[in-house]
Amino acid sequence: MGRYVTKRLLSALAVLFFVTLITFLVLSVIPGDQAVLSLGLDATSESIEALRSSMGLDRPFYVRYLEWLFSAITFDFGTSAVYGESVTSLIASRIPVTFSLTLFSIAVATVISALLGLFAALSRGKGADGIIRTAVMITSSLPSFWISLLALIFFCGHLGWFPVNGYISPAEGFAGFLRSITLPSFILAVGELALMTRMFRSSLVRSLSEDYMMACEVKGLSRARALFHYAGRSAIIAPITLIGNQAAKLFGGTVIVETVFSLPGIGRLLLVAVEQRDTALLQGVVLFITFMVVLMNLLTDIAVAAADPMIRLGEEGGR
Amino acid sequence: MKKRNFSLAAGLILLSVIFILFIMSYVYLPYRIDQMDIRNRFSMHSAEHLLGTDHFGRDIFSRILVSTRSALTVSVSSVLLGSIGGLILGSLAALSPLAIELVIMRLVDALMAFPGILSALMLSAVLGKGVMNASIAIAFFMVPVFARLSYSMILENRKRLFIKAARSYGASTPRLVLFHMLPDMLTRLITQFSASVGTAILTESSLSFLGLGIQPPGASLGLMLSEAKGYVLIEPYQALWPGIVLAIAVLGFQLTGDGINTLLHREASHE
Repeated sequence: MGRYVTKRLLSALAVLFFVTLITFLVLSVIPGDQAVLSLGLDATSESIEALRSSMGLDRPFYVRYLEWLFSAITFDFGTSAVYGESVTSLIASRIPVTFSLTLFSIAVATVISALLGLFAALSRGKGADGIIRTAVMITSSLPSFWISLLALIFFCGHLGWFPVNGYISPAEGFAGFLRSITLPSFILAVGELALMTRMFRSSLVRSLSEDYMMACEVKGLSRARALFHYAGRSAIIAPITLIGNQAAKLFGGTVIVETVFSLPGIGRLLLVAVEQRDTALLQGVVLFITFMVVLMNLLTDIAVAAADPMIRLGEEGGR
Repeated sequence: MKKRNFSLAAGLILLSVIFILFIMSYVYLPYRIDQMDIRNRFSMHSAEHLLGTDHFGRDIFSRILVSTRSALTVSVSSVLLGSIGGLILGSLAALSPLAIELVIMRLVDALMAFPGILSALMLSAVLGKGVMNASIAIAFFMVPVFARLSYSMILENRKRLFIKAARSYGASTPRLVLFHMLPDMLTRLITQFSASVGTAILTESSLSFLGLGIQPPGASLGLMLSEAKGYVLIEPYQALWPGIVLAIAVLGFQLTGDGINTLLHREASHE
């Protein structure tokens, strides 16, 4: 186990290194020099040069990269040009929204897809199975911003259940907070249904066809006990990995619902950074999201390895 | 017993709808997409305006027709670009010494760590707005998917007998990949290609929805929905048709990919 964790940790560090390199490389070629941007177009070339050297832009690439990397390690991403605040505190203030959105939607998606997957696996090959698979496939192909608009029209306009706009922080009132993130969370969850339902279904189908399930039947165990105690246990591994990976992906994929529902999360911050070409903010947000993704995937893999000795041993025996 | 392949049939039907709209946009366009009729804003279905008009009184049907152009060209070209890039990267990794292989695959992992449209967003910050840049950004986003797929397929293929045979009579590595492995890999690549075009359409419309793809007064399904967003509670009808067409396009490519996949699996199991 220790060897697997070390190996996985090293590869995650290697991935993170490349992530920082890609982020810095791609974003340092943003056209429109930062110095020109902050001084305006009619600045003299001497004053631009002076600012460039005071901002450190005239030094070689690798020096700037290493400097940025070392300050990034201490969570210092510099100051945002748009907001004039430190990037770290900007990100920190946006975390609660995006984090609760991600958590809510992955919980909703897990419950619904587990139920649908279970139902589909039990009625395998029959009509219900096909209907469930088609339905989740269709709903997952719908663009999230379209579902958001339809949901706005129906739930906010027609029924008036939820506020159209405006986010209420948990500090201002927890009930209001729940109301403001329920709809966006469900919309995000819908996008996850196809993949997760398919995974729950296929891993359940596989474990239902194992020999030990017949043994359960021969032994005279009730169907429910056989299902949850024996089939469910071995069928849970693959979905756990997927849930972990999808949660990580969702964390960086909230920009659209945050835009439609005007939620002040990481996604909105990212969009502002992209629109305003705020390099420091953009680098900070991109690195933060990718770091969360790598971390989540690492934790998921370790958790799964701890639960399933076959993965652990397979990895050590391989290559 | 031979089961019917519903996914393929449904997928092809949906795709043909999109292709008809695409061709129609060149052959018969009822109105210019920027032709405004301010007195006739937000009109419903009528004989003059088949699907009504938008907030400038522009014909929605014509704008949808033109939107299919950008949806198809951006997505197909970006997936083509991304798949070629991924194929090169993946085969390079599979055929190189261990050290280079590890570096390339960690790089691919790193690209995979940019979730959803993050890499496309990041690139559009660098490249700027517009159709061309959106295509490049989406291509970038497709590279790691195809790199991983081709990498794993080449590793699988390397162990097979006919590859070993080809190698034994002195076939060079590029020849092995291009003439011996690629034909076998092609089927799975096509499946992935079709599904990826669906994803690319979704990404293009998302970028346009966020205001980073196709710029007004151009027409894109994402842009139309973004404009509809402003009037969504007063004129909910605006959000209907662009969304339906978008869903048809995405679903069409996804189902076709799925259908080709089952078709190939079925053929493989018949052998």
